[in-house]
Amino acid sequence: MATAVATDLNFFQVKRGFFSWIFSIDHKRIGLLYMYSLITFFLVGATLGVLMRLELLNPGKDFLEAQTYNQVFTLHGVIMIFLFIIPSIPAVFGNFFLPIMIGTDDVAFPRLNLLSWWLYIIGALMALSTLVFGDGPADTGWTFYAPYSVNTSTNVTISVLAAFVLGFSSILTGLNFIVTIHRLRTPGMTFMKMPLFAWSLYATSWIQLLATPIIGITLMMIVAERVFGVGLFDPSIGGDPILYQHLFWIYSHPAVYIMALPAFGIISELLPTFSQRTIFGYSAIAFSSLAIAFIGYFVWGHHMFTSGMSGPARIIFSILTFLVAIPTAIKVFNWVATLYKGSINVQPPLLYALAFIFQFSVGGLTGVVLGALAADIHLHDTYFVVGHFHYVMFGGAGFAFFGALHYWIPKIWGRMYNIRVANIAFSILFVGFNVLYFPMLVVGLMGMPRRYYDYLPEFHLPNMISTYGSWILAVGLLLMLGNLIVGVRKGKKVGRNPWNGITLEWQTPSPPPLQNFDKMPELPKGGPYDFKQE
Amino acid sequence: MEHATGFVLPNSGHNRDAEASKMGMWLFLFTELLLFGGLFLVYMVYRMLNPEAFLLSSFELNITLGTINTVVLLVSSMTIAMSITAIMRGDSKKSVLLLYLTLAASVIFMIIKFFEWSAKINYGYFPGMEVYQNLPDGESLFFFLYFFMTGLHALHVIIGAVLIAVVIYRTQKGLVTAQKYTLTENAGLYWHLVDLIWIFLFPLLYLIH
Amino acid sequence: MEHQNEQQEHKQTHHIISYKEHFSTLVALLLLTVLTVSISVFGAELRSLSVATALLIASVKALVVAYYFMHLKYDLKIYRWLVLLVMVLFVVFLVLTSIEYLNR
Repeated sequence: MATAVATDLNFFQVKRGFFSWIFSIDHKRIGLLYMYSLITFFLVGATLGVLMRLELLNPGKDFLEAQTYNQVFTLHGVIMIFLFIIPSIPAVFGNFFLPIMIGTDDVAFPRLNLLSWWLYIIGALMALSTLVFGDGPADTGWTFYAPYSVNTSTNVTISVLAAFVLGFSSILTGLNFIVTIHRLRTPGMTFMKMPLFAWSLYATSWIQLLATPIIGITLMMIVAERVFGVGLFDPSIGGDPILYQHLFWIYSHPAVYIMALPAFGIISELLPTFSQRTIFGYSAIAFSSLAIAFIGYFVWGHHMFTSGMSGPARIIFSILTFLVAIPTAIKVFNWVATLYKGSINVQPPLLYALAFIFQFSVGGLTGVVLGALAADIHLHDTYFVVGHFHYVMFGGAGFAFFGALHYWIPKIWGRMYNIRVANIAFSILFVGFNVLYFPMLVVGLMGMPRRYYDYLPEFHLPNMISTYGSWILAVGLLLMLGNLIVGVRKGKKVGRNPWNGITLEWQTPSPPPLQNFDKMPELPKGGPYDFKQE
Repeated sequence: MEHATGFVLPNSGHNRDAEASKMGMWLFLFTELLLFGGLFLVYMVYRMLNPEAFLLSSFELNITLGTINTVVLLVSSMTIAMSITAIMRGDSKKSVLLLYLTLAASVIFMIIKFFEWSAKINYGYFPGMEVYQNLPDGESLFFFLYFFMTGLHALHVIIGAVLIAVVIYRTQKGLVTAQKYTLTENAGLYWHLVDLIWIFLFPLLYLIH
Repeated sequence: MEHQNEQQEHKQTHHIISYKEHFSTLVALLLLTVLTVSISVFGAELRSLSVATALLIASVKALVVAYYFMHLKYDLKIYRWLVLLVMVLFVVFLVLTSIEYLNR
């Protein structure tokens, strides 16, 4: 009883017009809707980031008031975390490619999928609406720590409600993916024959599903606080402000893996394709995703080492934190082993994957430093933390997103961008990124605290270098996006399989037809990455 | 569905798949459980910090009404479970009747809840009221949690009741049958969740004695 | 297409639970409710134990509801595993948080 009408047109051609997009239940179109909206918000967030760096070019006030600076870094955080990184890879590439990679024609609940996009847009508009009325956007930092978030006059309530709605959108996407993976795999594709990207989305979806409700209820408590003035986190009536931090990080630490796990999945797709070799340690990579998802639930306390938590709890959380490094390291070693003796084809997606491995390792290792209780006492709330999470989030998840763009754009639009320009853009991005964020690690070790618009004169040099890096990075970003847009519109047409990939999406025409396949997809005989068979 | 020019996969996402719907419902229930889970966590911490205050303020709650509501919800859980049995056996009349009983139970629950709440609000225990503001340490936290948790639970009762009404309507129209009863099943699952949460709320709020 | 769907549906023949079984489940739940209320009202000397017993009884009730009313007993095994997973996860949240607060 397939309701989709089968045609030979590709999914762009079946229907036209604005409304055929925003009310489409086709997972490919929804994936692209997410892509357009995400990249828009990413550019807004990036602009705010460049503004902050500009303010920090010299010590003292340059052009932003302290209060404005507080609002800018909060908005930068809220946009980048809730509107870009959390949805990024699952919502764009998961939506577009998960059904194709497991050989089906849509997710399990197509209408629910459209609803999640709408919730995303509503949440995004709510978050941005704080700009225009009242005392402006929240100035609490993206963490909304109580009691300040209860007392400030800025638009915390609406920001918090926006995060709630966005959380709901994230839950629905996760729910949809889990059921899709359980119910709609093509005949013959067992769990252990699934592409690793699907595995990573599966683990991610479980985190989205089981962690997000906690932040939902916590944010509702903040709203109730602000409306009724209860003093729920107020010690003078028996409450505890640190409880808010517990609740917040019970979600937000697993959320870090919502951002990172799909990126791992992307890398696990890119490396086999561009080294034309089977992935090393398929099951180790698949199960380490689940292990990260599971252990990731129990380490939230490491964000609170200096907030007054009890001693034994701090030690336990520190030990648990080290445990997460194990499955993560398993992945990195397997990726490197995959490259070994492969016939490596250096193309832009592979460059992004290699940059990911380097930058994510820097981010991960600095994370181990921060996870160590004693070191964290010194480094907490310094620029070392800022450097660390930008290495993980931007250098890791962000670069994987760019890599995925370069890998799959020929499939989505059937056209190839200019490879030479893409390589140049990558080089500029890579240099800009490291010039921007590495000095932050240094200046953090020197003791510069985060979240100030001003700093001591002795921190001037690294801050200057960092700001120059932000300009290089901005140039690289614009060049990369410009090249991709030109490629999508005017690039050379490509066939089904420009990269000689092996997963199912390369068996269908580019762009894919509405029902995804024009013939029954064939599974590689010796597992999902069996390059030897031809 | 054959088509001259195209090809359709057998495992299409647009097929009707009862198992997928049920799995989706279960996953949704997990998120609901953790939503309340966050509140239970807050409750646990604040009770550990203020044991005496929680004990004292729980005396203000009416055990009799709480027990009656527990029984009402348990009975309604049985009636909706039975209505699934009825529809699976093809007896849609009986199924509808049992759904009406469930709906009635939800209304009774809400009426009792209404009287409980209004008694507390008359005393001024609602967050923000004068008596509430002057409650000793910890007791106001108890009443905040009482209103927040039972309020959120009541919201779920209302959503469940609406869902049951939809099932009644669709069963009467003949859209729910012995071959196609996913809707009844999912409404049942949701209603049992409402019951499950109450099973924990009841001893934690009313039975601290 | 229609044909294949029918096949799929037949593959998962659903167990129909009898009215009688549902009724006995209700009786069990009511008995447990009586037990937990009477411990709370009359068993004042058990005070330190009362939280533990109340939660234990509530958990048993919840399991009965999930197992019989929510058909877990007759469903695919995976649902039982998933419910277990969610419970373990939540209990670990509670344990870690209590470790924190008990050592303050």
